[in-house]
Amino acid sequence: MAVPSPNSDLSQGPGEGLSARPLDGAATLVLRARAWLGGQWAFHSPRRTARLLHGFARTEEQSQLELRQAARLCHDARRSARYLRHALDEARHAHAFAESARALAHAHGAAGFPRPSADCEGLFEGLGEQRFLAFVHAGERRGRIEFETYARLLRRRSNDAQAQLFEDLIADERQHEAYSLRLLEELAGSAGTRRALRWAARDAAWRAFRRRGRALGSVLYALTMLLVYVALAPFALSYRALSPVRRGLSREP
Amino acid sequence: MAAVLGISGLYHDAAAALIVDGVVVAAIQEERLSRIKNDPSLPRRAVAACLRRGGIRPEQLDAVVFYENPFRKLERVLVWLMRSYPASARHFPRALSAQLGDKLWVLDQVAELVGVARARVRGASHHLSHAASAFLVSPFTEAAILTVDGVGEEVTTALYRGRGGRIEPLLSLPYPHSLGLLYAALTAYLGFEVNEGEHKVMGLSALGTARYREPFEKLIELHPDGSFELSARYFAYEAGGELGYSPALERLLGPPRKPGSPWCLETSAEDRRYADVAATLQQVTEDALLGLARRAQRETGLSSLCLAGGVALNAVANHRLAREAGFERVFVQPAAGDAGGALGAALLGAMEAGDPRPAPMTHAALGESPSVDEAVALARHLGLSAERLGAPARRVAELLLKDGIVGICNGAFEWGPRALGQRSLLALPARTETRERLNRLIKQREPFRPFAPTVLEARAADFFADAPSDLTPFMTTVCQVLPEARADLAAVTHVDGTARVQTLAPGVAPLFGAVLAELERETGVPIALNTSLNGPGEPIVAHAQDALGFLSAHAIDGLLIEDYLFRRPR
Repeated sequence: MAVPSPNSDLSQGPGEGLSARPLDGAATLVLRARAWLGGQWAFHSPRRTARLLHGFARTEEQSQLELRQAARLCHDARRSARYLRHALDEARHAHAFAESARALAHAHGAAGFPRPSADCEGLFEGLGEQRFLAFVHAGERRGRIEFETYARLLRRRSNDAQAQLFEDLIADERQHEAYSLRLLEELAGSAGTRRALRWAARDAAWRAFRRRGRALGSVLYALTMLLVYVALAPFALSYRALSPVRRGLSREP
Repeated sequence: MAAVLGISGLYHDAAAALIVDGVVVAAIQEERLSRIKNDPSLPRRAVAACLRRGGIRPEQLDAVVFYENPFRKLERVLVWLMRSYPASARHFPRALSAQLGDKLWVLDQVAELVGVARARVRGASHHLSHAASAFLVSPFTEAAILTVDGVGEEVTTALYRGRGGRIEPLLSLPYPHSLGLLYAALTAYLGFEVNEGEHKVMGLSALGTARYREPFEKLIELHPDGSFELSARYFAYEAGGELGYSPALERLLGPPRKPGSPWCLETSAEDRRYADVAATLQQVTEDALLGLARRAQRETGLSSLCLAGGVALNAVANHRLAREAGFERVFVQPAAGDAGGALGAALLGAMEAGDPRPAPMTHAALGESPSVDEAVALARHLGLSAERLGAPARRVAELLLKDGIVGICNGAFEWGPRALGQRSLLALPARTETRERLNRLIKQREPFRPFAPTVLEARAADFFADAPSDLTPFMTTVCQVLPEARADLAAVTHVDGTARVQTLAPGVAPLFGAVLAELERETGVPIALNTSLNGPGEPIVAHAQDALGFLSAHAIDGLLIEDYLFRRPR
């Protein structure tokens, strides 16, 4: 799949105004610091790097599914086309990450990864178009900051091939960041845009909190189930002894 | 007279189907709309699309039938977790959370999703749903019905007798003895994705030799009564349906293949070994199916067979069944896998409500149609050209004759995993160079996977042995390409001389039929290479947006949406 970077009417314009947005500053520093720490850990071993790349492939895949739904549901052909182009970019990114992850895993004797699969939350439908755009903009911005940090880290480690992979995608991320903000401003005006971006920041924090909650919940669940499983031992062993396995074709319903 | 919605989901291949007054109005797989391949969720979008197509509001539905009984399924999972104690320790938490978290309460979820009272929602047996999906839309008034898949509630294989609108259970084989699970485990061993790569194994099998019969006898024991038994030690199925293979299988057959590594059957002895494993698996599966079908024939004494369940999508095995099982006629409906359960569940509900049996299924165009207005408006913003054609079939044929690759998105999209002329990519069937281009630019398939042909039904016998038949309209079998036709069909003939042919009857996919008639007029061969309109790993295109997205991403020579030809800028 080779899709040229989108260059539609909506993607024209500098988008440099973004650097003056309130999310910059401390929040950007925190994002960069987190990406730097994550990168230090991930790039220490090729297998971890491959897992990180495959994780990005899944994220890009989810993003393309959400954007395809947006393209289908949006009643404005111009914006629908914009979402569809973005979806095609995300599909291309997912493919690039998945291929790199696979090649890296194979080069180091590990099994490959399955084709990246993801769920679609139906964000366009659930959030409405303005919040959807704010969500997309915030996500692209986070992605761009992470990619820039990873590219620098990898160059420093003389891992030029992986660094190039991230650098190739940064231009797309910038452009997605710019068009989503421009569309949001068109639809919501400047006050509405600020409100939507504040909501997106709160939503990102809430999602991060829920992710951690889920991780903790999984550990507690696994421990509880282990206890339940041990307690089931007498039932299981007596069931096995008393109930024979059915074999062959039978007329039982 | 009743309106009944059938639903499958929460395992893989979610779908919905709507029957109104004994007519199959709509049948739609969720993956087409969500764009998630084999989407396992509850089919929210497919339900909405079915109701839209039928012009039915939720409150007008007389019944909603889910394709499984969740309580019986939970019982089987619990029994197997206990029976395989303590080996099931690792799978216990996940299996329990899957069953108790979502699946047990599925009927309540369905009621909420559709917007009907809980009292109108019920579950049907998994295999009975499969049986209904095949028999009740078949051309037979009476038939033996064989359902073979991974596992339903507690049964993996079942035999029924269908008569009129009634289906009578005869025999069943319990979990874990399952041809579906055997095929899936070996699919994983060969480095393909389970529930997705089985057809790749089938394609690969033609390039190998079945020289592993002896080790396979340890995996599966075939009995003279048609039943079979899997040896548990080679499989890992403690999680209750989800499966893989155990280290014992690796010791038996050698190291497994790494997923995603490139194939090189000419130079790699290892890859040839994998092809031989695939060939043996295919042969064993066919032998097991033949045993079951012959038992079905003995039990019922009938001359027609309906086949359903995921294993019924094995077109090569179906060919052998049709020739050797002793039945005069065999029918497989196009969505024979779990998606088909939605259709079967709806049919069971309709029969129960006293509706007449539907007319035999002659086409699979049961989805939604593309909106041309939306397509034209969207194309303008994507920088694609749009041209309205007076004679669309003629123009498509002209592009094909110049060795072009053309997509068509015409009418309601298909039910099932095959592109049957509504969402297809077409090329000429003779030139292998065009096939290579199609593979390089778009499909990126493994080198051993063949492309399929579509032929006008009236001329099928001039090119293929055993065609047309009850199986060929839906691409659920393969046929030998006649020796004198091989040169004309080089791009669609597999290495074993077969092709997974679709025969197109008059009135089915009219535009596609007109394209084939144009090709016949120009070349004398009313056949096109017909592959699905999608990129690698994607569901087949449903709507105009998907089709235009496909055109933007792939350098094909044109895309026909109804009577508009869309092209990329030169």
